[in-house]
Amino acid sequence: MNYDITTVILLGSGYLALLFGIAFITDRGWIPQAVVRHPVVYVLALGVFASVWAYYTAVGNALRDGYGYLAHSIGISLAFLFSPLLLKPLLNLTRTYQLSSLADLIAFRYRSPWAGTVTTLVTLIGVTPLIALQIRAVADTADILSPAASQGLLAVGFCVVITVFSILFGTSRRAGRTRHDGLVMAIAFESLVKLVAFLAVGAFAVVGGFGGLDEMQQWLHSQPRLLDSLQNTNYFSSFHIMALMFFTAAVAMPHMFYATFNESNGQRSLSVASWGLPLYLLLMSLPVLPILWAGLQSGSLVQVEYLPVVIGVEYGKPFLTLIAYIGGMSATSGLIIVLTLALSNMCLNHLILPFYQPTARDDIYKWLLWKRRILITALIWAGFLFHYLPDVKISIQLIGIVAFSAGLQFLPGIIAILYWPNGNTRGFLAGLGAGVFVWLVFLMLPIFAAADPETMTELNWSRIAIVSLLLNSILFVLVSLASETSDEERSSADICTLDTIKRRKRSGLVAKSPAEFIKSLSKPLGEKTATREVMQALQDLSIKIDDRRPYALRRLRGRLEANLSGLLGPSIARELIDGYLPYSLVSQHGSADLNMIEGRIEAYRSNLSGMAAELDSLRRYHRQVLLDLPLGVCSLSSDDEIVMWNQAMERFTGINSTEILGLNIVDLKEPWLSLFTNFIDEDSNHSFKHYFELNGQKKSVNLHKAIIEDTTAAGSPHEGMIMLLEDITETEILEAGLSHSERLASIGRLAAGVAHEIGNPITGIACLAQTIRDEYHDDELNKLARQIIEQTDRTSKILQSLVSFAHAGTSNPQYANAPVVIAECMEEAKTLISLDKKSKDLHFQLDCDPNAVIRGDSQRLLQVLINLINNARDACQHNGNISLQATVAGKQVRITVTDDGIGIPAAIRDRVFDPFFTTKEAGEGTGLGLSLVFSIVEDLDGDVDIISPVDKDRGGGTQVILRFPCYHEEPESAQ
Amino acid sequence: MYIPRSILILFIIIYLLFLLSVDWINQSGGAWYRPFLVGFLIIAIAGWTHREQDSDEL
Repeated sequence: MNYDITTVILLGSGYLALLFGIAFITDRGWIPQAVVRHPVVYVLALGVFASVWAYYTAVGNALRDGYGYLAHSIGISLAFLFSPLLLKPLLNLTRTYQLSSLADLIAFRYRSPWAGTVTTLVTLIGVTPLIALQIRAVADTADILSPAASQGLLAVGFCVVITVFSILFGTSRRAGRTRHDGLVMAIAFESLVKLVAFLAVGAFAVVGGFGGLDEMQQWLHSQPRLLDSLQNTNYFSSFHIMALMFFTAAVAMPHMFYATFNESNGQRSLSVASWGLPLYLLLMSLPVLPILWAGLQSGSLVQVEYLPVVIGVEYGKPFLTLIAYIGGMSATSGLIIVLTLALSNMCLNHLILPFYQPTARDDIYKWLLWKRRILITALIWAGFLFHYLPDVKISIQLIGIVAFSAGLQFLPGIIAILYWPNGNTRGFLAGLGAGVFVWLVFLMLPIFAAADPETMTELNWSRIAIVSLLLNSILFVLVSLASETSDEERSSADICTLDTIKRRKRSGLVAKSPAEFIKSLSKPLGEKTATREVMQALQDLSIKIDDRRPYALRRLRGRLEANLSGLLGPSIARELIDGYLPYSLVSQHGSADLNMIEGRIEAYRSNLSGMAAELDSLRRYHRQVLLDLPLGVCSLSSDDEIVMWNQAMERFTGINSTEILGLNIVDLKEPWLSLFTNFIDEDSNHSFKHYFELNGQKKSVNLHKAIIEDTTAAGSPHEGMIMLLEDITETEILEAGLSHSERLASIGRLAAGVAHEIGNPITGIACLAQTIRDEYHDDELNKLARQIIEQTDRTSKILQSLVSFAHAGTSNPQYANAPVVIAECMEEAKTLISLDKKSKDLHFQLDCDPNAVIRGDSQRLLQVLINLINNARDACQHNGNISLQATVAGKQVRITVTDDGIGIPAAIRDRVFDPFFTTKEAGEGTGLGLSLVFSIVEDLDGDVDIISPVDKDRGGGTQVILRFPCYHEEPESAQ
Repeated sequence: MYIPRSILILFIIIYLLFLLSVDWINQSGGAWYRPFLVGFLIIAIAGWTHREQDSDEL
């Protein structure tokens, strides 16, 4: 059963065009994001792992190794089943620092561009056979379908088409920064097609080949050689190393790294993939044995690896053949597209950019895009050349083994990234060099040199792989321990290693604002690119363009390095950032950056258990105590950076902690700058009664400070300082008010005493005057006596008022509900106020309705009027006018106290009734006058209003309006 | 080195299942798909252990 070559080509090209269509409509947003970003799509995209090895080579492996063919699936599955140990931490690292390939990761961890370059070179040499393997599989299967066609031409045709599609898929937009949703959807679709096709062929093998599962089992029992290979599968020989090879490949192979980390939606997707991908691979492995046995039963003479395609031919089912061919095409094309895309990024970042970089005048994005396209083309055609170079009789199994065993050489370096901070560049390069040398000499070169395919088949690749890995690991450990590790490497190891939470010491940057960042980066990148990158980083971190906090600038620097790493690779990015955005101080390793440590502990919080969880709870409790403390708490680092600003401090200063954290103390605004810096310079740890003005109000505070000792290292410098701020403004006012009240009370008692003492002689004078008036009949003398009596009456009245006012705070309950004649109260208030020398220049106007009577305590109303008149007097200039009015309106008595003074500013009008609020000079007012008025008026069932300004044109004058219910005498029967 | 408890449990289960099932899989006259049954069982357990481990987004 042969097919026309045109049919084969059209089928392949049509299928690739369909994939491109899926990618296109996904990128256009025609497929809902809920579908595109669904974890299942991610799992299917990871199906790119099941390449020719799982589709074709597995059948040959099953024949040779029995269940040993499962080593491929088991190796990758183990990496995903235990993803919290390896893949998840690596995902965090790659996402945080925008690392798009293993070479990026290695260069980042070992802080060496050379490590990245060597990793890229080894990967390039190692995976070129893998590309060749895919091309060969396509050419071989096309040859089976159409034997008349030239296999070479088929391979060339496939390479041309796949080159075009790889460029269209992978480089239609900026790489290294965003997820390729279109590519992911296309690869997921490919994986689905591949799985369905393979399961369909497997199902046909069982049903069509044997007639059912039982029949197949019976046939198997008649095949002792096959049974033996299944039942005597040696799980402890090459199976182990094969599984380890694919376990490593989950990270080390560029296409796997790319699919796992670059196109991930986050931890949740990876969690689903942790069991989803093993399930996918298990389903892919399930039809292998039935396909093999059905192929063997048919007596096919075709190479056993291609039985999935041949079965349809052998059993006369052309449609099945085409399905199997499309499935194989999915396996090969998916891998080539993703592999070349990933490898082109690696080559660009680690082989080209370190030696040749675009100038600031170039459009860097366009320059990178074209270089990537050229590299993709070169890689596919390098694979094509490799497909021709070795002897064509070498099995595709051996080519795959050579490729994957190259990836195995990265295993020690990858493990050390997360679990061994002592590993360094020298150790990594020495180990990798030795391992790769063994691999190159004993595995790779024999492919070129071998003339006899039998020699290659007998080559004990598993021993060579083990020896190379052991040599690699031993040298890595020994050289790392024997050589010195740089501070940069230690710092990077700290970031990567799971158990380490040490961070670089906070250091200031030379550039002091995002604008200066742009200016500095414009030199290497050009102004346009630098602006775009800085703005992108600011947006990523939600930092404002005018933010100058050192903490924010350090984060911005880190983000820029990460973003540029995604674009240019970590080595170039670090070189650029270190060169153009340097630290102003030399960083010291080992000092803690509390914000970083807290961030990391918070991130891992849900994983903490036992003692660690208890300690974390304790940490959070202590932190909350400080945050909720009613005293203002400001904690400074050893370099005077603000690391804590609690809620009380926020309330008192009006400065939010998010604005202030990370700021240096010298960047604070007044009055806080002077207050804190002067206090820090003081020798004493306590400073009392600092006075300053805040928002037009006088404030007073007590300050306390303590040095935070570093308890972890004896003799080391301190960790910083903690300052407490105690707001004593209200306490001060209260004290002043109490003192003033006490003084007034003393004066009151004194006045009462003096009034009493003066009252007796006055009474004597009045008696004498009455005697003269009554006993002498001289008209002139009587007139004088009457005048004396009038004056003594007046004096007595004044004295009586003084005594009454002095006792105002202890009013008699008997009079609490007595009728109060407003006219009398007003007259008495005027009399008392007139005694004050300050009131001599004032003009009083009294206009009182004699019927204005209310129910209450006359002494308390008197205090209300005196307080209001006092305020009116203080607001008036010389010769001011104060008008007192009382009218009866319906059932209410309305009292007004009006002055023509300066009025009350609108800003403080709402606060005049607040206790202790005063605009008078210290010692002149307590801020309790109007508060007391408000309180007494409420007690008397009245209300109070203030109108200011009274004179709208001039803008001055205040009128206080009091309203009380009228007094009505209750009938006797009611009592 | 921090190892989540669920992963530790999964590791032990896989190890024990491997030890217990090797003989059963290679038993003469046994069904060819026995390794796959073990595989499905392990995946089901793994699905359970990974059910809610997505709270540590950095």
